[in-house]
Amino acid sequence: MTSPHPSFEAQLDAYLDGELVGTDARELEAHLAQCAECARFRDGRLALRAAIAAQVPAFHTSDILRQRVRVALKASARAYRFDLQTWWRPLALAASFVVVGLGGWSVAWQRAAGAALADDVLSSHIRSLMPGHLTDVVSSDQHTVKPWFNGKLDYSPPVHDFATQGFPLVGGRLDYLEGRTVAVLTYGRRQHFINVFLWPRARGPSGTPNVRDRQGYHLRHWTTSDYAYWVVSDLGTAELGDFVLLVQRADSAGT
Amino acid sequence: MLESNELARFEAAVLPHLDTAYTLARYLTRNDHDAEDVVQDACVRALKYFDTFRGEQGGGPSARAWLLTIVRNTAYTWHKSRRNDALTTEFDETAHSHAVAEADPDAKETLGRALERLAPEFREVIVLRELQGLSYKEISDVAGVPVGTVMSRLSRARAHLQRVLRKED
Repeated sequence: MTSPHPSFEAQLDAYLDGELVGTDARELEAHLAQCAECARFRDGRLALRAAIAAQVPAFHTSDILRQRVRVALKASARAYRFDLQTWWRPLALAASFVVVGLGGWSVAWQRAAGAALADDVLSSHIRSLMPGHLTDVVSSDQHTVKPWFNGKLDYSPPVHDFATQGFPLVGGRLDYLEGRTVAVLTYGRRQHFINVFLWPRARGPSGTPNVRDRQGYHLRHWTTSDYAYWVVSDLGTAELGDFVLLVQRADSAGT
Repeated sequence: MLESNELARFEAAVLPHLDTAYTLARYLTRNDHDAEDVVQDACVRALKYFDTFRGEQGGGPSARAWLLTIVRNTAYTWHKSRRNDALTTEFDETAHSHAVAEADPDAKETLGRALERLAPEFREVIVLRELQGLSYKEISDVAGVPVGTVMSRLSRARAHLQRVLRKED
């Protein structure tokens, strides 16, 4: 809709938005009082304003998003701090006192046990996103993370950084799954985190990834001749698929 | 240096505006999932640049306008990196000569739908003004254009929405 007095149109919007003051506002009011067409234009705008207020909603942040933002901020602030200082060292030392469950884990992968294990992996992932739980050793350097596991595990997990492929290593931690202490490697992708759980298995056939999706998270599980892998993240499935391929390639290269 | 009291200061200044941030992101991305990612990403970016935030006392924008600027830029960058998404074609610079995308002939036109089909630079001024009550100066800060451009975009966007409203009746 255009007004018969175009010069007044933008002015009228500014007036109705409370952005016109002083003489300009008074001149416009005087014009509106004597020009029926401009008054109709004003009424149309007021009707639109009412319709927008009634039909076009503002949105509210869900508690889940609020929590996600807080977690991401804490993780970001912490990562920044850890980059500047190296006071994670005493933390790592303290963590090394964690009793390491030895005893070989040699139970073959079973379908029934799989569902329960998937639940445990997912719980651990969600727990890790709470402030202060993500990593025990914070480093983007695979040569820092790998030795950190020495003495804490009865195996030395392969650690790779995929920063150049867009999945930087964030750090590592210990977790407890299936009655044993396992290595967890954490990677970042934008503001998403990916947790990789891995532990040795009895030599057996390699398997293709088993796909599970629950509660908005994606889980991928597969085995190599040496390790059982679980990968979990809220990252999109396509990107997570790329990441899984990177891990599989790095593992089979054996570097 | 990002100490924990710095984080607390940031949260006190910025988190009260999360609903506003989410609303803008939701209308720019036009879906919940992308909007959530944009808001989270924008907040982390904002934290990173918080030491450059001067606040109104320092002659800068309000915390709200400052956060919305980052949300807006994050949403635009985000969409540019996902050009294969059919919904984002309007974000393409070359498509900007058309202020309004083609309507789906089968869908009933509502005001909300008409707003979603407006080009983002027109959509955002409506959201910032009508839904969030920002001043022209604040909108000009957020969109990075002069106040005069804010005024003309608002007028054009409103004229279009008014035509839709009349057809509804």
